[in-house]
Amino acid sequence: MAADVHKKKSWEVPNGSLVPGDGQHTERSESPTPGLAQGTEPGAGQEGAMFVHTRSYEDLTSPEDGAATVQNPEERQGEPAEQSSMEQISKDFSELSTQLTGMALDLEEEMRPGKEGKLEPSPQTTRRDSVLSGKEEEDVTMDAWRLHRKHVFVLSEAGKPVYSRYGSEEALSSTMGVMMALVSFLEAEKNAIRSIHADGYKVVFVRRSPLVLVAVARTRQSEQEIAHELLYIYYQILSLLTWTQLNHIFQQKQNYDLRRLLAGSERITDNLLDLMAHDPSFLMGAVRCLPLAASVRDAVSSSLQQAKAKSLVFSILLSGNQLVSLVRKKDQFLHPIDLHLLFNLISSSSSFREGEAWTPICLPKFNSSGFFHAHISYLEQEMDLCLLLVSTDREDFFTVSDCKRRFQERLRRRGVHHALQEALRTPFYSVAQVGIPDLRHFIYKSKSSGLFTSPEIEAPYVQEEEKERLLGLYQYLHSRAHNSPRPLKNIYFTGPRENLLAWVTNAFELYICYSPLGTKAGAINAVNKLMKWIRKEEDRLFILTPQTY
Amino acid sequence: MAAAGSREPPAEDEALAAVGAAAAAAGGGGGESEGRAEGGGCYLALCARPVHFEKANPVNCVFFDEANKQVFAVRSGGATGVVVKGLEDRNPISFRMEDKGEVKCIKFSLGNKILAVQRTLKSVDFLNFIPDSPQLEYTQECKTKNANILGFCWTSSTEIVFITDQGIEFYQVLPEKRSLKLLKNQSINVNWYMYCPESSVILLSTTVLGNVLQPFYFKGGTVSKLSKFEIELPAAPKSSKLSLSERDIAMATIYGQLYVLYLRHHSRTSNSTGAEVVLYHLPREGSCKKTHILKLNRTGKFALNVVDNLVVVHHQDTETSVIFDIKLKGEFDGSTTIHQFVLPPRSIQPYQIPVAGPASVTSQAPVPCKLYSSSWIVFQPDIIISASEGYLWSLQVKLEPVVNLLLDKGKLMDFLLQRKECKMVILSVCSQMLSEPERGSLSVIATVFDKLNHEYKKYLEAEQSYTMVVETGLSRSNPLLKRPVRTQAVIDQSDMYTHVLSVFTEKKEAPHKFTIAVLMEYIRSLNQFQIAVQHYLYELVIKTLVQHNLFYMLHQFLQYHVLSDSKPLACLLLSLESIYPPAHQLSLDMLKRLSTANDEIVEVLLSKHQVLAALRFIRGIGGHDSISARKFLDAAKQAEDEMLFYTIFRFFEQRNQRLRGNPSFTPGEHCEEHVTFFKQVFGEQALMKPTTF
Amino acid sequence: MAAAGAAGQEKQLAPTLLSFFIYNPKLGPKEGEEEKKILFYHPNEVEKNEKIRNVGLCEAIVQFTRTFSPTKPAKSLHTQKNRQFFHEPEENFWMVMVVRNPIIEKHKDGKPVYEYQEEELLDKVYSSVLQQCYSMYKLFNGTFLKAMEDGGVKVLKERLEKFFHRYLQTLHLQSCDLLDVFCGISFFPLDKMTYLKIQSFINRMEESLNIVKYTAFLYNDQLIWSGLEQDDMRILYKYLTTSLFPRHMEPELAGRDSPIRAEMPGNLQHYGRFLTGPLNLNDPETKCRFPKIFVNTDDTYEELHLIVYKAMSAAVCFMIDASIPPTLEFCRKLDSIVGPQLTVLASDICEQYNINKRISGAEKEPQFKFIYFNHMNLAEKSTIHMRKTPSVSLASVHPDLMKILGDINSDFSRVDEDEEIIVKAMSDYWVVGKKSDQRELYVILNQKNVNLIEVNEEVKKLCATQFNNIFFLD
Repeated sequence: MAADVHKKKSWEVPNGSLVPGDGQHTERSESPTPGLAQGTEPGAGQEGAMFVHTRSYEDLTSPEDGAATVQNPEERQGEPAEQSSMEQISKDFSELSTQLTGMALDLEEEMRPGKEGKLEPSPQTTRRDSVLSGKEEEDVTMDAWRLHRKHVFVLSEAGKPVYSRYGSEEALSSTMGVMMALVSFLEAEKNAIRSIHADGYKVVFVRRSPLVLVAVARTRQSEQEIAHELLYIYYQILSLLTWTQLNHIFQQKQNYDLRRLLAGSERITDNLLDLMAHDPSFLMGAVRCLPLAASVRDAVSSSLQQAKAKSLVFSILLSGNQLVSLVRKKDQFLHPIDLHLLFNLISSSSSFREGEAWTPICLPKFNSSGFFHAHISYLEQEMDLCLLLVSTDREDFFTVSDCKRRFQERLRRRGVHHALQEALRTPFYSVAQVGIPDLRHFIYKSKSSGLFTSPEIEAPYVQEEEKERLLGLYQYLHSRAHNSPRPLKNIYFTGPRENLLAWVTNAFELYICYSPLGTKAGAINAVNKLMKWIRKEEDRLFILTPQTY
Repeated sequence: MAAAGSREPPAEDEALAAVGAAAAAAGGGGGESEGRAEGGGCYLALCARPVHFEKANPVNCVFFDEANKQVFAVRSGGATGVVVKGLEDRNPISFRMEDKGEVKCIKFSLGNKILAVQRTLKSVDFLNFIPDSPQLEYTQECKTKNANILGFCWTSSTEIVFITDQGIEFYQVLPEKRSLKLLKNQSINVNWYMYCPESSVILLSTTVLGNVLQPFYFKGGTVSKLSKFEIELPAAPKSSKLSLSERDIAMATIYGQLYVLYLRHHSRTSNSTGAEVVLYHLPREGSCKKTHILKLNRTGKFALNVVDNLVVVHHQDTETSVIFDIKLKGEFDGSTTIHQFVLPPRSIQPYQIPVAGPASVTSQAPVPCKLYSSSWIVFQPDIIISASEGYLWSLQVKLEPVVNLLLDKGKLMDFLLQRKECKMVILSVCSQMLSEPERGSLSVIATVFDKLNHEYKKYLEAEQSYTMVVETGLSRSNPLLKRPVRTQAVIDQSDMYTHVLSVFTEKKEAPHKFTIAVLMEYIRSLNQFQIAVQHYLYELVIKTLVQHNLFYMLHQFLQYHVLSDSKPLACLLLSLESIYPPAHQLSLDMLKRLSTANDEIVEVLLSKHQVLAALRFIRGIGGHDSISARKFLDAAKQAEDEMLFYTIFRFFEQRNQRLRGNPSFTPGEHCEEHVTFFKQVFGEQALMKPTTF
Repeated sequence: MAAAGAAGQEKQLAPTLLSFFIYNPKLGPKEGEEEKKILFYHPNEVEKNEKIRNVGLCEAIVQFTRTFSPTKPAKSLHTQKNRQFFHEPEENFWMVMVVRNPIIEKHKDGKPVYEYQEEELLDKVYSSVLQQCYSMYKLFNGTFLKAMEDGGVKVLKERLEKFFHRYLQTLHLQSCDLLDVFCGISFFPLDKMTYLKIQSFINRMEESLNIVKYTAFLYNDQLIWSGLEQDDMRILYKYLTTSLFPRHMEPELAGRDSPIRAEMPGNLQHYGRFLTGPLNLNDPETKCRFPKIFVNTDDTYEELHLIVYKAMSAAVCFMIDASIPPTLEFCRKLDSIVGPQLTVLASDICEQYNINKRISGAEKEPQFKFIYFNHMNLAEKSTIHMRKTPSVSLASVHPDLMKILGDINSDFSRVDEDEEIIVKAMSDYWVVGKKSDQRELYVILNQKNVNLIEVNEEVKKLCATQFNNIFFLD
């Protein structure tokens, strides 16, 4: 597909079946160097990783199930969708632009004080009878609506609304119409729209036939990162429908209203978007583990491993959005993205706390054409410990449910239950433990294991917006370091509120945030000291010995 | 030459004749005067308060003493009283002395101690005026056999020189002994003599023609004979008779040098266009040289004065005078410099004689005084006496009229800068050339500024080398070194600022382009002479630029450091920030360059809530261990930026840890409120824990 | 040019100007009248409907973005094949520049495959180029609105055609970089006294040639004095240094910078000559036509004749009110007054300059190259660029490094707080960006395999030597 042509550098990941390269764990050097061989960095798995190996989100853009072929404009010539002649389109535009002028004028009206009362925007009327939309109405002509940090829209190739983060889809149908028109105009010229840039915000388009995803972001994120998040939304939708089904639907009915199918799923998508704004996992394309004594973790893992069943592919124990343990079928690797989607699924609904849930789910990176069946349950009410058993057989509920029982039994027998509770009481560690006064926060990612670790965000990042700002800074460093045409090895940033340092080798990535009064020499020492500390703590912070059934 | 003497009984006309004779070339008839014809711009004037004395008449003889500038009115040989009036001492001395015959010459010694009266050709009588000292007259015969005393002159309060036709006799007077002691005598044939009190040099006319002049120099009881010299006469004398008359010779110090001035009359033979004054420089040692020739371009009767180092030549026929300044450029012919007169001829300013008699003070209108009258007698350097009317004036040069007569501003400055009372005139000239209608071109203005600053710089250098000598203590080794005198010609920056530039910029009649051009021109000139420019001039420039919103100009000037760095200037810039934001950067740069203004820099940064920058700066210069934590925490708090506050707070916690092994603040630092604030925002646990190694 | 060290038969195709057009939506609001909106379109050959379509797209994009920010519409559009830059210099007048992304031409089994390099063009650089297009037009033609007032759309179209037809050919899109963003002014370093001499020279000239309204003084293509306001000077400077001066390069003068005074007996002989206006003063037929420029367009709106007069390396621009057409007599007068003095001044400056150079000591190739820019006075200094051709100055470092500079610059412009960024590129070069109170400094370190601390030291050294007279935050 067109979107990928320029991203050849990125690592093509054939669907869900790649064993991490040189997973060997030969010499494990103490203090890391840029030349550190992959698999020997702190946090590198002992017996191969449990994940599809990801460098970063580039994999996201890799085609799934020949999607590319359908999406390449050059090859879409014959298709009925493209029949509309150039004249037609340019006509659309002249109308469009005049119509938009109208709208824009209204907006300007709107902005003047006192006017609001008189004016009633037409789109609103349909808003009420939107059964699908769970969220309360929002006037899409108000500044409040415009000023959201990040808008996300999903629409079908017919320009039909599928999802809108803020404001009802109906109210936005005309806007989405324009979006589609823009997309198809450029595709008609064998070109592809990528983004629009203006002062203070970007509009990013991602094309995944039969869908178009658009974000309007006022964040400092790069175009790539926003596209990355849109793809998460795309996968989120796939996880509910599978890619096959999605295409099938639209092949049947060009202007099908997908919202009917996605009824009630907005909550999950909304949650995913909120999560991405707070949790670095998505940025890192990696998974964070619950800090846990190796012995305890091993006990848990082997308990999981023993509680197996034929249909099980993955057994996952997680707490909050941190991984406690993961056991997988031999030669089956879970992609972090899929895991993130699972995390999101769980965190987006409290209903799982009541009893056991048995739900079909597609893991798009693993296999976007079919459904798995996930058994989701919390081990104990008050304990934030969720067990997730992924099975291939929809009829297998009771077997899988039994696995849970067996697992809990083993846990109790091994007597790690108490230790586990203890660990859950402090799900995060403080950066103070590292013992570097100027150090405020850091993110360390082991590339081979696909795991990362970072301490709790503490003072001065107490306010919610400060926390988001910090993540924003990491996003900034990340985007510069992974800027596809001009990647960087090191970034040292001296800012008004903090100093930051990014260090990217082919074995690991390290991002640290520390006092703006810290010196460069200080930073260098901090890095070395920190790496030693991580090495020291690695068996607590990472899963070094992943299990298979 | 001494006073207007006259024989007993002096007939008025004779007396006048004598006077006329004495008055060198001043005598002669009237005639229509160019000066008055041209009118206005009289640059010469008689002093406002002349000395009035009883005019010469048969019973009253009048004498003038050049040394003390005193007029003696001797009524009937002194029996009916002698009245002495001087220019300096205004209250007249009057006394009586018995009439021992006709008085030829009468003079006080310096300080009016002893009175000397010559009544005969052989002797001089003395009378003490020192309180409680013998009052009886005593007499001194001249030593030389059958020599006649031509005259005498006091060279100090107790030393006197008799000049006889055969030489000079130098005496010391011993008043209490009522006797004189001969110190030295020189025998030489004398036609006539001339005394210059200023330089205490006596000039003797010798030889038959009288044109060989022999100067003597008297000092502290010693006589030194200076090398004699010959005045070259206009045409070869026909007969061997005295052909250099004393009336054509004058002595005066000009620019601190003694000159003998010779009025060479127009000779038909020589193709000279007119009479001329020849100046012979008479140095203390070395030979006398002919140095300057002043062209008069006219013939007739002349009289000389020297005023304010200018040679004034009065011309009776035209009743006008001209002035020469030997410092001004003239044409140099290899040995002498030839000068034309500086200004067009003008008559002396018309003068009103105040009518005598208290009764008539109001009633009668004052009588205009006849100028250039034949009854005038002229003495060196600047004395004019009208014996007939009984007045003594000093001649003065008025500078104001010169301004309009000398149009070449450069030459005008050269002229003015040499005058005693020049300052205000010069400043007014400057103001004038900056404002309509007579605004000068920038290049003229430039030359004027350069001339002023040239003089200014000369003084500064003298001053500087003086203080250097004093400081290095060399002053003791050469006692003659004295502090350089600051003449009025030294026009410094504050003069220019207060009298010219500030006024000029105030009244905004000139286009601002011109205003700025002028200011820059002045600054340029100062720089050219390496004179440090005072910052108030810069402020003036800045004010003017700001008034006209010429901020970009200002920026460029500062960029090239035309306005040199100083704290006051930096502060001024800071004050401009509100109207011209870049001023902030400019002033910070300036402070940085001054390198003595680190505290100021920190203050500036803090005032802008740039607490981090301030702290980084301090650390950069290694002062971060001594600064007050409170000050910075206050600033951080005012910035209302919690992240910033955290950073600063942490910094000082770590400083405490480093310096005292404990992160907490000591009571002395008065940071309690900040600690509370920190806890309340970030929580107790955010406080740094003491680390122990 | 970008793909240095790229594999075998790969071919790099530099970015090129696809189209450039100016339109005003208000001119053809009704349907079917769209063509009326278009005031200028390059390339003109393009078929009418396509023109309309492309304009339509721009309008659509702009209006679409107004939905999210009524006051801040789109600045640029990124597509796979090209980038479009939008600029609304005057209300409702839109300028659009479409630049094709650089292409790598590969050969897969015989037939060529094109790869568009979508991330190679830097928005800020090309937006600035577009803005300069307008500024340059305005300098010589005044505002669009003015043209409309003067003679409606017709006149405007003529002026646009006349100007851009030539100007667009002078755009060197492949060699645009950070310097185009700054569009700064290089100032000539000079001692106080010489500067003051120049000051009084200018003042005297303005006095004796009293119709002169503004003056600018340059030496070696570097500015020393500007009577014009900063923004007008900025664009005039660009015109002089990239267009006028290069056209008048005189190799034989280059070496003759300090003439023997004897060559000029009594100031009669001098090196002064007009770069604009009369070519030969002795020819009574010669034309005294000078280019007209427009300054202070947003308040006093002044129209001026631009007289550029040069003696050796010193150039003076005299700007006189357009209402007074300069006559041949005036030109002769100017020549006779300015010529000799300027010649003398020029050699003074040259001497001074050499003296200062000797003092500062011979410069050896330093460990770094840098670009400096000060937003406050537009002062610009680059040791990276060197004049390749008269009109283009090329960077002497790898284009990717230049682009990293560009990236850092755009990061800086997002907040106006002081920041510093030090990065290590894949090529192991270190690049430093420093922003301190309206000043920006970019350094590229030539030596590889140094660590952060050493880099920091190098930069400190640089600041100490090159910028010790200004306040640079550490």
